[in-house]
Amino acid sequence: MAQSLMSCTGLSRAFPAPGGSIQALDEVSLRVERGEFVVIKGPSGCGKSTLLLTLGGMQRPTRGSVVFGDAELYGLPATERNRWRAREVGFVFQLFHLIPYLSVRDNVAAGLAESPSKTPRSIDDLLDSLKLSDRARSLPNMLSAGERQRAALARALVKNPSLILADEPTGNLDPTNAAIVFEKLSAFRETGGTVVVVTHGHDTTPHASRTLEMEQGRIVRQSTR
Amino acid sequence: MVVGQGWKGSRMTLLSLILREWRHHWINALLSTVGLTIAVALLVALRMTTGAAERETRRVMRDLGFNLRIIPKTTDMDYFWTHGFSDQTMPESTVRTLADQSGIFVTFNHLTPALEGRVALAGASAILTGLGETIVSPHEGRQPMGFRIKPGEAFLGHSVAQRLQVKKGDTFELAGKKLRVEKALSESGTDEDLRIFTSLRDAQAVLQSPHRINEIKAIDCLCLTADQDPLSKLRQVIETALPEAKVLQLRTLADARARQRQMAEKMAAYATPLALGFGGTWVGLLAWLNVRERRAEIGLWRALGHGSGRLAGLLLGKAVLLGLLGAAAGFALGTGLALAAGPSLFQVTAKSLQADPQLLWKALAWTPLFAAIASLPPALKALADDPALSLRAD
Repeated sequence: MAQSLMSCTGLSRAFPAPGGSIQALDEVSLRVERGEFVVIKGPSGCGKSTLLLTLGGMQRPTRGSVVFGDAELYGLPATERNRWRAREVGFVFQLFHLIPYLSVRDNVAAGLAESPSKTPRSIDDLLDSLKLSDRARSLPNMLSAGERQRAALARALVKNPSLILADEPTGNLDPTNAAIVFEKLSAFRETGGTVVVVTHGHDTTPHASRTLEMEQGRIVRQSTR
Repeated sequence: MVVGQGWKGSRMTLLSLILREWRHHWINALLSTVGLTIAVALLVALRMTTGAAERETRRVMRDLGFNLRIIPKTTDMDYFWTHGFSDQTMPESTVRTLADQSGIFVTFNHLTPALEGRVALAGASAILTGLGETIVSPHEGRQPMGFRIKPGEAFLGHSVAQRLQVKKGDTFELAGKKLRVEKALSESGTDEDLRIFTSLRDAQAVLQSPHRINEIKAIDCLCLTADQDPLSKLRQVIETALPEAKVLQLRTLADARARQRQMAEKMAAYATPLALGFGGTWVGLLAWLNVRERRAEIGLWRALGHGSGRLAGLLLGKAVLLGLLGAAAGFALGTGLALAAGPSLFQVTAKSLQADPQLLWKALAWTPLFAAIASLPPALKALADDPALSLRAD
């Protein structure tokens, strides 16, 4: 029987907007099993990024709860939630969000904010496996988009987290680099990790163990491989 | 790079991160440093020139003379104004009695006992002025004003020196007492030209009034101009402290001194908040721009699990470092400006104008704190902002 890694129940999140508010999440409930590769699809503005950041303890929901193991994330003090995120979660973003004044190597090292839950991976091995060894000392502005995203992926993987949350990780990449990113995420899953990816593309389906489709803040369809 | 100990085990200390960010956003760092440097330089130059102006004023006033005369209450004022000194005396200890009164130095300073009288010299008369040791406020390290004359020495007014045809080092006799000319004063155009200044002891011996004085010369510390009615305040204090005496104020001198002092205080009163306001606004604005530019980075540090304390350290640590640099550069610039402008501003005391290490320590202590306070509002806002907003893709 599959083991639950995290779950959310009745998640709602509204953002203030001119003339009212936007309901980014509307009563979303979801259970993510350990070792799953979950893809969340949907058009822009459907709430998938909000869901991802909420699952990662970055965005407090207006209503509902997120449970990881036995802990209700938003019931934890902010410092505890930071520690949890530092130990258990690796983030990958569409815009890479590499720190512009740090080298590739130091950007990866920045992913080790706290002692990880598992033994961290060697930065050299990671850079080597992502074909970034010769760019280790380069600053982000000297890298191609593909190299930047691979560096961001290395930063997410270095602490050997339980969960990787990726927000449109291939949105700015060519097909070759997009394939590399998904292969690495898939490889992470094969070593026992769990992946939740948000995308509006179609090229991720082969890697997904489950695909969810969102519209207007709700999960409207779900398919499992 | 040490793996397994986190970034704290790597080369990325907080200081290293701050310095790298500084290098990356060098224009912002440079402009912040320039702003702090200018503010510190203004304050250092102002402090140095204000101090020099005070010294200059003191020297000029010393040359002008005391502006208060405390004389026995029973003095015949017709005699006083006709002869230039009181016909009555009081015990020499009166000056100590006055100095020992609580809070007296709030109003009076440089209390100098004096005995004055007319003497015959070389077929004409002169005014002998014996000056005792000046008592200054114990809380101020100020040099006493007025002449310091040792027993057996004399300072001669211009006319007296001419009449005796003596110069420095010569000796002359006064009522059987031999005195050495320590200084022949230049022509003043006042009754000083007719005076012989000696120590109080010598004057008491010549005038045969041992342990007596007929005046306490002083400077008023109120520094009020005539329209602010300082005399009634001075008289109130003397009435309480020394009922057997009364006080006269040489208004022209007192006004000149008060105006000079008030001008320096006004300059400091305007320039200090101006420099602090300019520096604070400048640094705060640049810190706000810096934080705004780094929103995504701050969000990312949060996503990586770094807490508010470390982020505050990144943002405020930068301000502290900029403050240290601005303090050192501002001290150097301000000191240089003051030293360069000194000779043209202060003719008498220009040489006493020099770099003050205490100002450097003060600048190094206060400027980083000031820069951190100025950067605090944008830093707090950055920490309070929702990090998710800067990280989301849609």
